[in-house]
Amino acid sequence: MCLENFSSQVAERHNKPEVETGASKEVLLNPLIISRNDKERVLIETSVNSLRVSIAIKQADEIERILAHKFTRFLTQRAESFVILRRKPIEGYDISFLITNSHTEQMYKHKLVDFIIQFMEEVDKEISEMKLSLNSRARIVSESYLAQFN
Amino acid sequence: MILLDYHNRIIEDTLKARFHPESKPKPVDMSIVDFDGVSYHLATLDDQDTKLALSIRWNCWSELVQYGAMDVLRRDYKQWIVESEQGYDFTLQFDLENIGADPEELIRKVALLKRNAMAAPFERAFDAQSLAEKEDNWDPSSSQLMTIHYRDGEAIYIQNQQDRVTVIFSTLFKEETDRVFAKVFLQEFVDARKKPHLQNAPQVIYSHREPPLEIRHAPGLLDSENQGYITFVLFPRNFAAGAVREETISRIQIFRDYLHYHIKCSKAYMHSRMRARVSDFLKVLNRAKPEIQASEKKLASGRAFRRV
Repeated sequence: MCLENFSSQVAERHNKPEVETGASKEVLLNPLIISRNDKERVLIETSVNSLRVSIAIKQADEIERILAHKFTRFLTQRAESFVILRRKPIEGYDISFLITNSHTEQMYKHKLVDFIIQFMEEVDKEISEMKLSLNSRARIVSESYLAQFN
Repeated sequence: MILLDYHNRIIEDTLKARFHPESKPKPVDMSIVDFDGVSYHLATLDDQDTKLALSIRWNCWSELVQYGAMDVLRRDYKQWIVESEQGYDFTLQFDLENIGADPEELIRKVALLKRNAMAAPFERAFDAQSLAEKEDNWDPSSSQLMTIHYRDGEAIYIQNQQDRVTVIFSTLFKEETDRVFAKVFLQEFVDARKKPHLQNAPQVIYSHREPPLEIRHAPGLLDSENQGYITFVLFPRNFAAGAVREETISRIQIFRDYLHYHIKCSKAYMHSRMRARVSDFLKVLNRAKPEIQASEKKLASGRAFRRV
């Protein structure tokens, strides 16, 4: 997260997140993938003035897939208030964060890291809790319907 | 509120207000809707506003009539039936000055108009089953498959067998989410019956896309990913004549609405949950922003102000 202000080398008076444009190779650093398994992984791409963190959320079955999709869509629609959230996840991942040097200048770096870590921890928890609540609701609903026949 | 009511609440409330002996007749012209694309029209007829007409319109009315709906309705609403209003399928008319001895009972019956119309094919199937049960060599080909296309693209199939009556719902899920949620719900319906205290409940079979054997030959079946079939197997103990039968008919009818209602409820719940979670995340993120101290500044006059 040692990001610094860096003007574009390609176009004059432009200042873009280099990790997004990829126009000058020498300012990009090696991307890094941390994965628990095939489905759950995090991709960190860094450059001189920006950094991109992409997360693939665990999706074991159809329900989790839908819940994860809904949840990430819900978040990206609010990208305006989540300043570091990318509106569109990069391909193969469910959600991406884009941190630029201006973010690290305005905010505490360690708190940004806290946020991303907490996000990763809670997103899984939230989805599995939602799934459980759906199942238990379905059980109550079906039992109370069928119990009427007694 | 886990269970849905069988009657139409708006009709009940409106009639209650009007049938009350102390209430003055007032003009009314209401269009009321109900589940399954039913629409009602409730209006006063003459200048005195004492004559009240209630009409119902339903896409599948002709099918219901074919399966004996008029007999059931005649039994329940005998003296109130009049020529049906233009554009509607069936009309009841009440005279507020002469509503009979038991207005409460009448209101209850009227609010169940949709349910009673739909009850006809069920009653017919139940009667046919009880006749078939007494015969020693019953001919399976004599069983009738009754189809009621009660919604666009969705239908109820009712078939009587010698020892049971099967009711099959075909239902269409407009959204992927609905379909997945429905799968969870219906799986629970299938599993719930295994509980010891629910042994008396009818058997529920769920099949996705593939139509059950009974209706495989029926015309107009949609072959699509969004189509689901739910089969209820009703045994004679589920429709013993009297209160049990009436309850069963009502309950089976409400099934589709019940299922979809709960799917919508869970979606709403998920939504509110996500909303809460997102605002939590936002709080965590905002902690990363250093707080800007709003320092007090003074005007030349010495009055303090705060820059916003």
